[in-house]
Amino acid sequence: MSKLKGLAAGALALAALSTASAAEAETRVGLLLPYAGVYAALGEEIDAGFQLALEEAGMTDEFAIVREDTEVKPPVGLAKARKLVLEDEVDVIVGLVSSGVLGAVRDFVDGAQVPLIVANAGNDDATGSRCSKYITRVSFSNGQVNRPMGQWMYDQGIRKVYTLAPDYAAGRQMVGAFAEAFRQAGGEIVGEDFTPFRKTQDFGPYLTKAKAAGPDAIFVFYAGGEAISFVKQYDSFGIKADIPLYGSGFLTSPLYVNAEGPAAEGVVTALHYVPTIDTPENRAFVEAFRARTDRAPSEYAVQGYDAGRALIEAVKSGADSREALASALAKVTYTGPRGPVKIDPATNNIVQNIYVYETIKGDGGLTQKIVGTVEAVADAPNGCKL
Amino acid sequence: MFHQTGIKTAVILALLAGLAAYAALGGYFARELVIEIATLAILAISLDMVAGFGGMVSLCHGSIFGLGAYGFAVAATLLGLPPGLALVAGIALGALFGGAVGAVTSRARGIFFIMATLAFGQMVYVLIFDARALGGDDGLPGVPRLDLSALGVDLQSSLQFALFAIACLGLVYALAAFVLRSGFGRTLCGIHANEARMRALGIPVWQYKANGFALSGAMAGFAGALAAQHTMFVSPEMMVWTVSGEALVIVILGGMGTLVGPAVGAALLILLRHEIASLTNHWHMVIGIVLIVTVLAGGRGLYGQLEHMVQARRERVKAHA
Amino acid sequence: MLADPSTWIVQGLNGLQLSMLLFLLSVGLTVIFGLLHFVNLAHGALYALGAYAGVSAVWMLGSYWAAFVLAPAAVALAGTVLYLGLIRRMRRSGPMNQVLVTFGLIFVFLDIFRIVWGDIALGIDAPAFLAGPVEVLGVAYPAYRLFIIALGAAVMAGLGLVLSRTQIGAMIRAGVDNDRMAACLGLNVERIFFVVFCVGCALAGLAGVVAAPVFSVTPDMGTQILIPTLIVVVIGGLGSLKGAVAGSLIVGFTQTFGAVLAPQLAAVAVYALLAGILIFRPAGLFPARG
Repeated sequence: MSKLKGLAAGALALAALSTASAAEAETRVGLLLPYAGVYAALGEEIDAGFQLALEEAGMTDEFAIVREDTEVKPPVGLAKARKLVLEDEVDVIVGLVSSGVLGAVRDFVDGAQVPLIVANAGNDDATGSRCSKYITRVSFSNGQVNRPMGQWMYDQGIRKVYTLAPDYAAGRQMVGAFAEAFRQAGGEIVGEDFTPFRKTQDFGPYLTKAKAAGPDAIFVFYAGGEAISFVKQYDSFGIKADIPLYGSGFLTSPLYVNAEGPAAEGVVTALHYVPTIDTPENRAFVEAFRARTDRAPSEYAVQGYDAGRALIEAVKSGADSREALASALAKVTYTGPRGPVKIDPATNNIVQNIYVYETIKGDGGLTQKIVGTVEAVADAPNGCKL
Repeated sequence: MFHQTGIKTAVILALLAGLAAYAALGGYFARELVIEIATLAILAISLDMVAGFGGMVSLCHGSIFGLGAYGFAVAATLLGLPPGLALVAGIALGALFGGAVGAVTSRARGIFFIMATLAFGQMVYVLIFDARALGGDDGLPGVPRLDLSALGVDLQSSLQFALFAIACLGLVYALAAFVLRSGFGRTLCGIHANEARMRALGIPVWQYKANGFALSGAMAGFAGALAAQHTMFVSPEMMVWTVSGEALVIVILGGMGTLVGPAVGAALLILLRHEIASLTNHWHMVIGIVLIVTVLAGGRGLYGQLEHMVQARRERVKAHA
Repeated sequence: MLADPSTWIVQGLNGLQLSMLLFLLSVGLTVIFGLLHFVNLAHGALYALGAYAGVSAVWMLGSYWAAFVLAPAAVALAGTVLYLGLIRRMRRSGPMNQVLVTFGLIFVFLDIFRIVWGDIALGIDAPAFLAGPVEVLGVAYPAYRLFIIALGAAVMAGLGLVLSRTQIGAMIRAGVDNDRMAACLGLNVERIFFVVFCVGCALAGLAGVVAAPVFSVTPDMGTQILIPTLIVVVIGGLGSLKGAVAGSLIVGFTQTFGAVLAPQLAAVAVYALLAGILIFRPAGLFPARG
């Protein structure tokens, strides 16, 4: 009897040892982000957030990371993706800032059956008509971030809105989603303008047109340098005194809102993350990020963190091959710095809270005051068949 | 005037062989690089034809490249044509646009000519960027590759596509050399050398310029169609003005007016960029310094300098003989 | 809305402001082209350098006006270094090599900006008394933009006076017309070239620091402004002040009113304009040499 027990114990121990060593087999991760050029700041933010997630879980040794630069160019992104999959043999790719690169890479990733965790690119189609069971998005979709503002602004008593956005796919999707929701709530879009993408730094003519249309509010999407120019010019024309400015949160992203100066105070926008979310998870995240980089985390940082966290959750559930990871990623759910998040089984896009916040003056610069929370915002399938 | 000298033959054959070897022996990424080098080299050769030999420096060849890519992609995906016909469509579109630009700008000179070509190129870029039916800035996916299974070649394989691209490069070079040695090519060089004299000889200068540009456009369009097949995806990024600028830089770096130089320049720039990018995120600066140093060191371009030295030695030997 | 005269006044002022900014950039470039026959594609990078220098000056000294003076000076200094180290050697090199060298400079500057000032977009505020709008011609218009218009007009007048009424102006005009003849007549053409180049750089730097409070400061702002500047210079004609004025007004107003009246066409409008002008006047509108 005891011999049998001994044997059983030995077998158990052996089994335990072998599963332990299987878990120690590294997961190879390809980080596909822009590291040089004008989008490098975003790439670095996402990378920092991703590494923070690994450190927090104490699992940095279990992942082998290969980094490749997309240069924000679709052909380059595709070549690097091919390299990561065929030469470096990664188990999963994480990243993609630009929707253009995502568009180029999508067919390859789907055909090669490699899981891809999208850490920024917001194109609606990627979790819509061009979705794939291998593509999981933990960042946002262009429509998801803006739709809630439609109802929210109507509820504040606003009835007439003028919209502005840069003339490219993301600009149209962002403002389009807001406009549709606002109209459904009962509001009226009195005018819209799409400014030549990356060529317009002078918004004077458009601001003048917007003011002349007599709206109750202006709703815009701009990011980066264009956002800074727009907000400052909005203030300098004195429109700020008459017509309040609303927009997508990228307009006043913590990453560069301080460059906008006092002009940004009072602007109300909506985003899936702000560093002032008051939950224990977020406070811990902000502290850890500040300790690492000496600045407050932006939405890009949390996207990188959640990419890491989602991957860790998938790996912890036992997934060890590309197929298994793809299925496990689709089932991830936890409460992170953004609040409760999960992946929508109909689209593989993240389901998350959207925070409406006002930019106000704080100690040490501009900060974000949350004035409304829309919970568990999910996208309609939009042609996705998973 | 263009002469297919020994050194030209030697270097271009060495380049083709080198690329083939790198593709066959290197890893997956090596093949990606080789295909990129081949398509860019075809574009650079097409530019050298009008710029180096015809004296018409163009900043719209990137747009022609993009037009060829879009022509192929649209014909193959939205219009459902077989890839062979779609390729013809891409080449034809490049030729038409090139010919139109060449005809319309034939009176302009120097920096004005360059800016006029830039203007036309930018107009095409904006039109394609704004065309939501063509995917806008999200681009068109699902672009197929040519079906050469009748020849026993499977272009879906990276290695075979790389070798195919190298073969295309060789073909385009041979075609360019042939044209430049012909009567048409010599007239074009004559126009570059002295336009007034050619006009006095009764030659319809603008027709030659337009035709030269059309032929160059056909080649650039072909390069674009090839690039479209490589990534199986097209986007307006392919026709941004910096692509034209990069093509011009490659031509000058390799040696304008040598026909072989541009191909060498393409290989050099892409390999250099890849090597440096793997060492530092600030590779723009290193490339910039390389460009400046190349010019300060000689100004004929790398291959141009080599050719010059070989020529000079030959002359010295002849003089002493 | 379009029948409202105040909108037209404001858009007119917008057009004028954009024209003045383009003028500050293009006048340096056109005289460098016309006089030194030097294709300086790095001119946009010098504009960006002016904006970044302005940002640093504001951070360190806290005053916009300090930046206003120091930034052009810093860029002129950079121009001196560039001229003595590189440009002087390249003057007789032919346009293709000049294109290559200045392209290289664009790349080098891009990474210098990224290394020294970082990748994230920056901004500075307009001086306090110029922030916000003032009443002019019955409309509210940003005071700072009026300042840009006034500055542009002042520079225009100043340069016009120097070129037409002073000895150095005459020397410059002689150099543009025929630099070898001018040298034969005993003019120190090399020194004139050097001075003109540095002044051109200073003007680019001035444009940069003046634009910084209105726009944002990013590493690629130089490449963004390069094409509009080249278009202005080419439309106006190389080497002439009148050409720079005409070119900048045409481009500035086309872009502004294009945006108002036909936004879809606005992007193409300027290029169509350029192509059209070059077909009928292949040397631009007011070239310095007949």
